[in-house]
Amino acid sequence: MDITTSIAARSYAQARQAAGPSPKPDGAAGGFAKLAESFAETLAQGEMTAKAAMTGKADPHALVQALAASETAVQTVVTVRDKVVEAYQEILRMPV
Amino acid sequence: MTDLLQSMGMAASGMEAQAMRLRHVSENIANADTPGYHRKVMSFREAMDGSSGLSGEVLPGPVRLDRRDLTKIYDPGHPLADATGHYDGSNVDLVIEIADAREAQRSYEANLRMFDQARQMTQSLFELLRR
Repeated sequence: MDITTSIAARSYAQARQAAGPSPKPDGAAGGFAKLAESFAETLAQGEMTAKAAMTGKADPHALVQALAASETAVQTVVTVRDKVVEAYQEILRMPV
Repeated sequence: MTDLLQSMGMAASGMEAQAMRLRHVSENIANADTPGYHRKVMSFREAMDGSSGLSGEVLPGPVRLDRRDLTKIYDPGHPLADATGHYDGSNVDLVIEIADAREAQRSYEANLRMFDQARQMTQSLFELLRR
């Protein structure tokens, strides 16, 4: 009886190790940081062009182009966020 | 993805160039009755990228003056008239200007369609991701 509980404890310990966070999240974190940076840059560019167009310094074509780029960036980020949230909720709904 | 964004940029540069062309056309038409006015002809050139040579975008090139002879207009009462009663008008031909303007419009529309198509392709890609 004592042996079986110790086996169970050992396999639990193994499972915990396997399910734990991986020790090197640097690559993923760096990629996300870069993504967020480029997203913020695109939005800032769009805002700057919009401001310049309001004051008559920028061409309306540049404004339309910058707005289309920001729209694309926002759509990308929103879609990815939706996917992540959906996956998280899927995990939460898992019967334990 | 970057290709689609780049094609949007190129279409925007084309629209900008055609807008500039239309500006010169309207300048020519506005000065059709100006004595001694030579019509302006604009050219296009491909934009250079700093690192990789040609970038694919179009830029308005240098503006040249049309060298054709000015039309002689007979008006002895005009202050600029010479001994024979003629003075130099402009060499603007309204038919050519209108044709040029229409060409600019068509080219602008083509660029606009390309811009819209690139945008639609991007959006349909995300539509696929959203399902």
